[in-house]
Amino acid sequence: MLVNDKSLRSVLTHSPGTAIGVALVMLHLLNALFAPLLIPYGETQLVGAPMIAPGHADFIFGTDVIGRDFLSRLMMGGRTSITVAMIGVFGAVLIGTFFAVSAAYMGGLYDDVVMRIVDTKLSIPGILFVALFVVGFGRSVTVLTIVVGLSYFPGAVRTIRAQAMTQVPLAYVKAARLRGESALSVIFRELTPNVIEVVVVEFAIRTSSAILIVSALSFLGLGITPPTADWGLMVSEGVNQIYEAPWLVLLPAVFISTLVVGLNFASDGLANALGLDAARGLGGGN
Amino acid sequence: MIRAMLRRTLLSVLILFLVAVFVFLATEVLPGDALDVYLSEDDVSVMTVEDIEEMRRELGLNVPAPKRFFSWLSGAVFGDFGHTIVDKIPIGEIIFNPLLNSLQLGAVITLITLPVAFAIGATTGYWRGQRTDAVVSTTSIIGYSIPDFVIGTVLIIIFGVWIPLFPAVITISNDAHPVKLLAVSLLPAITVIIGHVAHLSRLLRAGFIETMNSDFVERARLSGVPERNIVFRHVLPASVIPTLNAMALYMAGVLSGLIVVEKVFGYPGLGIELIEAVDTREVHVVQAIAFLGAVLVVIMNLLADFAIIALDPRVRSHVSER
Repeated sequence: MLVNDKSLRSVLTHSPGTAIGVALVMLHLLNALFAPLLIPYGETQLVGAPMIAPGHADFIFGTDVIGRDFLSRLMMGGRTSITVAMIGVFGAVLIGTFFAVSAAYMGGLYDDVVMRIVDTKLSIPGILFVALFVVGFGRSVTVLTIVVGLSYFPGAVRTIRAQAMTQVPLAYVKAARLRGESALSVIFRELTPNVIEVVVVEFAIRTSSAILIVSALSFLGLGITPPTADWGLMVSEGVNQIYEAPWLVLLPAVFISTLVVGLNFASDGLANALGLDAARGLGGGN
Repeated sequence: MIRAMLRRTLLSVLILFLVAVFVFLATEVLPGDALDVYLSEDDVSVMTVEDIEEMRRELGLNVPAPKRFFSWLSGAVFGDFGHTIVDKIPIGEIIFNPLLNSLQLGAVITLITLPVAFAIGATTGYWRGQRTDAVVSTTSIIGYSIPDFVIGTVLIIIFGVWIPLFPAVITISNDAHPVKLLAVSLLPAITVIIGHVAHLSRLLRAGFIETMNSDFVERARLSGVPERNIVFRHVLPASVIPTLNAMALYMAGVLSGLIVVEKVFGYPGLGIELIEAVDTREVHVVQAIAFLGAVLVVIMNLLADFAIIALDPRVRSHVSER
C-alpha cells in the first residue's frame, strides 16, 4: 500500500503548509472540474462594455479588454493548462518508468543509449526545447501536450532509474531471475512496484512545474492560443492595460500562483512523508 | 584524473553532436524543411509550385537533408548559423548583441544569487527543523512557485505604475552601452533572483545537511573541536562539493530562465530575439539560439564535473565509471 491511513495523516499534518497546499489544490481541481456548470457567462462571449471594474452588479470581477466576463474567464482559465500538464507529465512518467526500470535492470549498451538520449534532452533548456517544436509544428494543444511529455520524459527517466538501481542488486530480484521469470516480468512485476513511490512524487512535482511552464509559454505566445481562457495568456493580454485596469493582470496572477504554491506545498509534504527529498528533483528536467 | 576528465570531455562532445542532430531533426526534417516551416498556408495558396521550387533552390534546400545537416553543423561550430530567410542577414550578426546583453544580465543575477543562496542554504541547513528553517523553507516554496512573469508584471505595476520609480517598459536598443543596460537591469534581475534564490538555497540546504551528517563531522565533534570550527573549517568547504552540480545546473539554466523576464520588461536580449524568430518563423535563428543554449548547459556541466573530479578524491574513480 502506497499511502496507508497513518502516513496519509502524517502527510496532512506534516506542516501547516502541506494542509494549506492540499486544500488549495482541491479547491482548484474542483473549480476546474465544475467551472463549465458554474460560470455565469460563456468565457469567450462578449457580454458587456470593455474593462468594467470589479464590483459591478452583473460582473463581479468586471470585464476584460474586449468585454468578456472576467469571472468566467478566471474560472475557466486553468483547465487547459492543467489538462495539458497532467496528460503530458503522466505520459512522460509512465513511459519514463518503463525505460528507467528496464535500463537499470538490463544495463550495458541499452542503458548507455537510453541515458545518452536523456543527457541530450537535458542539455536543451526548457523553453528553447519548446520553441523548436512550436516553430516546426505550429501552436496547438496537441503539440503542446506532446512537447510537455517529451520535456519531462528524460528527467523522469533519470530520477526513477536512480531509484531502480538501488533495487536491482537486492536478493528478491535475483530470486525472481533464478525462478526463471522473464526480463519483462522482473521489470513489471518485481522492480516497478518497488519504485512506485518515487514515480508518484515525480508525477506530483513535475506536474506543478509543467503547469508553470505551460502558463509561461502561453504568456510568451508559444503555448495556448486566444480566444481560450488561460491565466498565462490573460496576464500577457492584460499587460497593456496596467494603468487603467491592473486587475486584468493581478487576478489571473493570483489564480495561477495559488495553484502552483498549493501543488508545491502538497508535493513537498508528500515527498517528506515518503522520506524523499522533493528539492532534489526540482532542478532537472526543465 | 586526467583520464576521467578526458572521458567526460569526449562524452560532452558526443552529447553536443546529438543535440545538433536533434535540433535539426525537430525543425527541418520532421516538419519538411525550412521553407515548409516558413511559409504559411496563405502563402502557399497564392504561390505556384514553380515559385516554391525556385525559392527552395535559392535557399539551398534542394540538397538532401543529411548533407544540409553537415554543412549547417560545420558552420555552427565556427559560429556561422546561416542567413535569415527573408532579409538574408547573417544570423551571427542578429544574435551577437542580444547574446552579450543576456550574458550580462545573467552574470549580474548569478553574482547576487550564488552568495545569497549559499548563505541561506547553510543557515537553514544548520538550524534544520527549527523555527527559522521552517519559516525560510515555507517562504522559499512560495518563492519558486510564483511564475516569473507574475513577479515581473506585479513589480512593474508596483514600481512602474503605483509608485513610478521605473519606466514600465524598457526602451533601449540592443547595441546600447553595457552601463546603460545595467541601469535598467534592476527590476528584471530582482524578478529572476527571487525564484532562483528560493530554489537554489533549498538544494544547497540539502547538500549542507548531507555534509553535517557525515562521519568526519561526528568525529570532529567527539574529539572536542569547537562548533564554530566544525562549521567554518570542515562543513562549509566540504558542502561545496555536493552543491557544485546544483550550481552548475542552475547557472546553465540562467540564460533560458531570462527569456520570460526579458519579454516582461522588454530587455533587449536573446529571449526577445527568440520569441520574434518563432513569430516570424525564422527557423535558422531558433536553431542557433537553441544550440547556443545547449552548448552553455553542456559546458557548465563539464566544468562542474571537472571541479568535482579535482576537488573530491572519493569521486575520482566513481565519476570515470559513469
